[in-house]
Amino acid sequence: MLEKMMKSKLFGWIDERTGAEAIIKSQLTEYEVPKNLNYMWNFGSLALLVLVLQILTGIFLAMYYKPSAALTYGGYTVAFDSVERIMRDVNFGWLIRYMHAVGASAFFVVVYMHIGRGLYYGSYKGPRELLWIIGVVILLIMQGAAFFGYLLPWGQMSFWGATVITNLFGALPVIGEFLQEVLRGGFAVGDPTLNRFFSLHYLFPLLLVAIVGGHVHALHVVHSNNPTGLDVHAGKSTIPFHPYYTIKDAFGVGVFLLFYCYVVFFNPQMGGYFIEVDNYVPANNLQTPPHIAPVWYLTPWYTILRSFESKLIGVLAMGASLGILFLLPFLDRSKVRSARYRPVYRQMVYLFFVTVIILGYCGHSAPTPTLKLIGQISTAYYFAFFLLLPFVPMFEKTKPLPEEI
Amino acid sequence: MSETDQTRRNFLFAAAGGMGGIAAAATVVPFIGSMLPAADTLAAATTEFDVATVEAGQLVVIQWQGKPVFVVHRTPELLKQVDGHDAMLKDPNSEAIEAVSAEWITPENRKYRAIKPEYLITVASCTHLGCIPLFKPSPGRAEWGDSVPEDWPGGWHCPCHGSLYDVSARVINGSPAPHNLHLMPYKYLSETRVVIG
Repeated sequence: MLEKMMKSKLFGWIDERTGAEAIIKSQLTEYEVPKNLNYMWNFGSLALLVLVLQILTGIFLAMYYKPSAALTYGGYTVAFDSVERIMRDVNFGWLIRYMHAVGASAFFVVVYMHIGRGLYYGSYKGPRELLWIIGVVILLIMQGAAFFGYLLPWGQMSFWGATVITNLFGALPVIGEFLQEVLRGGFAVGDPTLNRFFSLHYLFPLLLVAIVGGHVHALHVVHSNNPTGLDVHAGKSTIPFHPYYTIKDAFGVGVFLLFYCYVVFFNPQMGGYFIEVDNYVPANNLQTPPHIAPVWYLTPWYTILRSFESKLIGVLAMGASLGILFLLPFLDRSKVRSARYRPVYRQMVYLFFVTVIILGYCGHSAPTPTLKLIGQISTAYYFAFFLLLPFVPMFEKTKPLPEEI
Repeated sequence: MSETDQTRRNFLFAAAGGMGGIAAAATVVPFIGSMLPAADTLAAATTEFDVATVEAGQLVVIQWQGKPVFVVHRTPELLKQVDGHDAMLKDPNSEAIEAVSAEWITPENRKYRAIKPEYLITVASCTHLGCIPLFKPSPGRAEWGDSVPEDWPGGWHCPCHGSLYDVSARVINGSPAPHNLHLMPYKYLSETRVVIG
């Protein structure tokens, strides 16, 4: 199919002017990928798919959404009403909004799987350090975009979530108050905040697209890792990306869409995990909801924040928990990449995954003394995992590596 | 390894690719659909108006569904100007398309294009490209100069591209506009209160 197209006269005309043939060959039909990738390697292309879905649905939502906290005759606000109008009056508005809201959660699901795969198989290790670092930047921008987007419906959770997070920045010494004012544009979260968050919510995905481009480029320079973590040799243990992995990725897309569509059509709020119930109550700056927690994908970091008595240390710890991801490639000194051949690291990384899930659970629940203690222990392990990495190779007996995949 | 069955492979490729293509094309429906007028836009469809507020011989422009609407209080003299120039009209009986007629049209009011002949209510958008025509009710050129023809029966002149309509808003031959000004469903709630739409 592709070969036929590439032999056509039209393609020849385009190729002369763009070098399209060389690009297609080097990036697709002659781009070598290890032949033994398992399904964990599907999540990269899925993340790209969800990014496209989010941008597409977002553009259409922006045609009806109005970022204004001005009061309406009904006693609500322009922003809140415009979201309800999308849900009730705009043709297919409910579908597009649910696609977008579920898409936000789906984005984090696939990206967390993608990151987890990188951790387990040592994809962050040399020569892929920069590829990993660009990925962490993507994660941070995603979290920012999600946070900005969450304010837009101007419900109770939107308002108080934004209040809490902007207060976090206020806790920083020296620049804190300045940062807080820059974010809020007023003395409290209000109309100016809503306007700038909408602007930034539109900007961040554009940044994402650019940086994802860099991520893919960086990948194509160093090529994919694989479940064994071995360096592979072109031709012998690799197959071209197209058609082999385009087909496999397409299959993954089919499976993903099955789950995604199920949630979008039958359970879009996911029991309050994807869209919190309190967010259907219009924002009220004079009353905080009885229980307030971030959406699930931010709760692990929220628990780390809550685990410290001092506000400042909590904020710094939360920043550090994300910042330490940048250092991961340099903290891990082992010569072996994949956890398959690293018995100690394997246990550590499994425990790390469990810990993050526990942190997420704690952050989503109302604080109790027991949960606080569990959260603190989990926070301790979260950091211990990274800080132990330089010392693990000193005593870890790695299993023998195979000659070839 | 057995030999590749190329026919089977091509069939599967076309079948899977075809289904995927159909699914992708189907997603266009909700997205383009969302850009069509929303339910509340469609619901804001009626306008109430008291025609007694229009003086004899006066024209007012009101809004209905975001569109301009003419309400003219036609004097007996103006009503007489409706007759005698059918040969100049593209569609004297307002039959060319559905939009130039309405349910309430009867053989008696057909030439007046109004339920009560003295009150003409029509969409004020020129059927050429949507400008609002200027009201030039008196016949001849005395008041209007050469912006209207010598045998001007009185009516509307569109400033954008020169379309002409008579006092029943019927388009005059030679105008770029294809149709008479559109009518809409309306009814009288009382002697003078009208609900449009």
